[in-house]
Amino acid sequence: MRASWLPEWARGLPWLPLLVLAAVGLCAAIGEDMFPFDPNQLDLSAAFRPPAWQEKGSLLNPLGADNLGRDILSRIMAGSRVSVIVCFYAILFSGGIGALAGMIAGYFGGIVDAVLMRLIEIQQSIPAIALALILAAALEPGLSTVVVVIVLTYWAWYARIIRGEIIALKGRDYIAFARVAGVGTATIFVRHLLPNIFNTLVVLATLQVGQVILFEASLSFLGLGIQQPDISWGLMLADARQYITNAWWAITMPGIAIMLTCLSANVFGDWLRDRLDPKLRQL
Amino acid sequence: MLLQVENLRMHLHLRRGVLQAVDGINLHVAEGETLGLVGESGSGKTLTGLSLLRLLPKGSGRIESGSIRLDGQELTTLPEAELARDIRGRRIAMIMQDPMTSLNPVFSIGDQVGGPLRNHDIARGTALRSAVVDVLKRVRIPSPEDRLGDYPHQFSGGQRQRIVAAMAIGCTPRLLVADEPTTALDVTIQVQIIALLRQIQHDQGVGIILITHDLGVAASLCRRIAVMYAGQIVETGPVRAIYRSPSHPYTQALLAAIPRLHSKRTRLAAIPGQPPSLIDPPSGCRFAARCPMRMDQCAAPPPTVDLGDGHSAACWKLAN
Amino acid sequence: MSGFLIRRLAQGVISIVGASIVIFLISRLSGDPILILLPNDASPALIEDTRRNLGLDQPLWRQYLIFAQNALAGDFGRSYRWQMPALRLILDRLPATIELALCGLVFSVLIAVPIGVLSAVHRGGWIDRVGRIFAMLGQAMPAFWVGLLLILVFAIHLNWLPAFGHGGVSHVILPAIALGWYPVAAQTRIVRSAMLDVLDSDHIRLSRALGTPEHLIVWKYALRNAAIPLLTMLGVYFAAMLGGAFVVETIFAWPGVGRTVVEAVFSRDFPVVQAGVLFTSILFVISNLLVDLSYGIVDPRIRDAR
Repeated sequence: MRASWLPEWARGLPWLPLLVLAAVGLCAAIGEDMFPFDPNQLDLSAAFRPPAWQEKGSLLNPLGADNLGRDILSRIMAGSRVSVIVCFYAILFSGGIGALAGMIAGYFGGIVDAVLMRLIEIQQSIPAIALALILAAALEPGLSTVVVVIVLTYWAWYARIIRGEIIALKGRDYIAFARVAGVGTATIFVRHLLPNIFNTLVVLATLQVGQVILFEASLSFLGLGIQQPDISWGLMLADARQYITNAWWAITMPGIAIMLTCLSANVFGDWLRDRLDPKLRQL
Repeated sequence: MLLQVENLRMHLHLRRGVLQAVDGINLHVAEGETLGLVGESGSGKTLTGLSLLRLLPKGSGRIESGSIRLDGQELTTLPEAELARDIRGRRIAMIMQDPMTSLNPVFSIGDQVGGPLRNHDIARGTALRSAVVDVLKRVRIPSPEDRLGDYPHQFSGGQRQRIVAAMAIGCTPRLLVADEPTTALDVTIQVQIIALLRQIQHDQGVGIILITHDLGVAASLCRRIAVMYAGQIVETGPVRAIYRSPSHPYTQALLAAIPRLHSKRTRLAAIPGQPPSLIDPPSGCRFAARCPMRMDQCAAPPPTVDLGDGHSAACWKLAN
Repeated sequence: MSGFLIRRLAQGVISIVGASIVIFLISRLSGDPILILLPNDASPALIEDTRRNLGLDQPLWRQYLIFAQNALAGDFGRSYRWQMPALRLILDRLPATIELALCGLVFSVLIAVPIGVLSAVHRGGWIDRVGRIFAMLGQAMPAFWVGLLLILVFAIHLNWLPAFGHGGVSHVILPAIALGWYPVAAQTRIVRSAMLDVLDSDHIRLSRALGTPEHLIVWKYALRNAAIPLLTMLGVYFAAMLGGAFVVETIFAWPGVGRTVVEAVFSRDFPVVQAGVLFTSILFVISNLLVDLSYGIVDPRIRDAR
């Protein structure tokens, strides 16, 4: 199908993944009041109700209910909010800090650069989950701890790639001219360097979405992330694990939500990368 | 006759169309004879060589018609498995152009030279080892016993080409297809490799097809040459006859283009114009567009004219 | 060789020292360690005393030196919960974690290499396409969910394999798959693209022209070349397995470092957390180092260049 009425940039857009991401975003935006069911509403008569298409299922709980009779679909929709919030802050800060560090290191070189590279190496010698564990032990677990952990893990990823780009840019004539002409460093950063790494940043941020969602789910699953009564997909799975023999749907459905969201983000990220910054392909 | 190729057509079925890479070739090589296959790059000489082994570009290459007979055995219809077992490396061997990339960097020389001997069940165990040492001696690798465990990067370019030659002649093939065996080498090394090929031919009575764009190399090693242009053979005959009285305008242009001073690259580039696209080539003479002696007749396929003494050329001018 | 070795070793040491600083600093974020060590009703005098004894009245850098000195001497403190030295506990649990990580690595390589090779050999064919879809899915599934699904299907419904615990081969299968699942996609991609490069090389063309059987060309002559980029990444993957082990061990009740540390976090058993995390980091660095040193075994060019 070739949609010729679309503007050039929109042709070949991965529509299905975008639709999934839009749905997740919508659920996060409208809030729990608008859902068919209150995600925290207990209904013991519906406990362990299987999905609608199974025997004893009911359209009231299309994806089934958990051990306390809470509607799984509503909880998945509510859980999208945590995913979106964590993604937003984690990507904002890790991208921001990483890009700034990478730009400074790449632009000034020398000692600054050497120190940064060592820092990246050190950061990469601690497994992300281990870092999360020790942070969680030191701080209160919760949404902000999750964000801190992800930022501490991912800033280096941005820094390393942006540094490489800046070093390449620095060799270009117009940057050299700007420096010779006495243009201030801040101006060079904002006017010349930032626009040039913008595409890379967008691609990296999109590719990070899926990883952040996986990470948040893992932390929450371990009990180190989002805490009750907040709802998160990882936390739902941690609950469901206790009655895994009784309700397969409670284990599968939130996982499918995670998988679909990540898959969509990754496919969209790949598409964006091929469009904006094909040289990042080896990531 | 060792090798008899008749009316061989090999086309590449590409997305853009059918590329008539090899289009109606006739060749023959006698035992112990060296035939030079000369032409510009893109003339189809390498693909002709690969077609003899039925090593066609995967997915696109196809032999459309014609026959290839080795000692009377038809190869075009032979099953792939038999071809790999009995023909490739066993009775027809090939040497590739670039010795720097023709050897596998992560296997020892002993392993690689021994490979064909092992695969064709010629030698095993200790016999294999002594066979490998023997063949390396034949290509003049110094003290081969000590170097079996060495890797390609430990050898010079000329030595590597000798090792490639050793891989090729290990199973005493009947025919050796040497594709530009000297092009990537220094001039002094070139001379050594030519001497080596001559010696191999002398010792083993192997027939050689030497594929080259270098008329000088062809003249120094071959008794007969065939000149290829745009997927076809335009002139063939004894070296001497062709040098003395080149009959096809393309051959004449080629010879005229050899500069007095020995410079490497410009040799064939001096003919004005470009070879035609082999997707939808002109139906008549393929050289017509560049030919200084073009006539109206050239719009039809030219006849092959026998000039006596095994010398023939495909040109309307000779037919008249 | 030796210059390279020394440089890599120095880098490794810097990384480990850096990691220990990070771990030390983060631990201090939790506030006054004294309050954790002593009962709530401890007298101010006792608090002062303990503080001085433990060196907690010293400046932070001094405290780090004491921490590092003790760590070097193998003293990470005692586990509050297990009533034994934290290091002892971690060392006891380490073999199980290494066993699991190795099994996970072996699983991922055993899956990735054949799929990567066949995808390259039959480029654009069904294996290539199915492999790619599988890879996309694999990258979108968290390890703990894969583990739960495996338990659901193979332990609960089919009842083929045990759902948890540590013992014979049957116990390690499910956790190893859960752990090795995620990196399969990336490994397949590495092998596939390396194979595509190699299969297009002159030496493979020569091998073909000399009648080498196709299975030897693919699985011997091409694969050894294509394995080099994968091998150079194995340290990274093994390290990733150590990270993933924290989650997978918890699901499968695997008695390794990961589960021990996760439990220690909940019981605020700080010495165990510190020792566990630092040890994982050290393993992490060592595995990368070992792989760097082992390239030469497969790649003779590098062997000589050093």
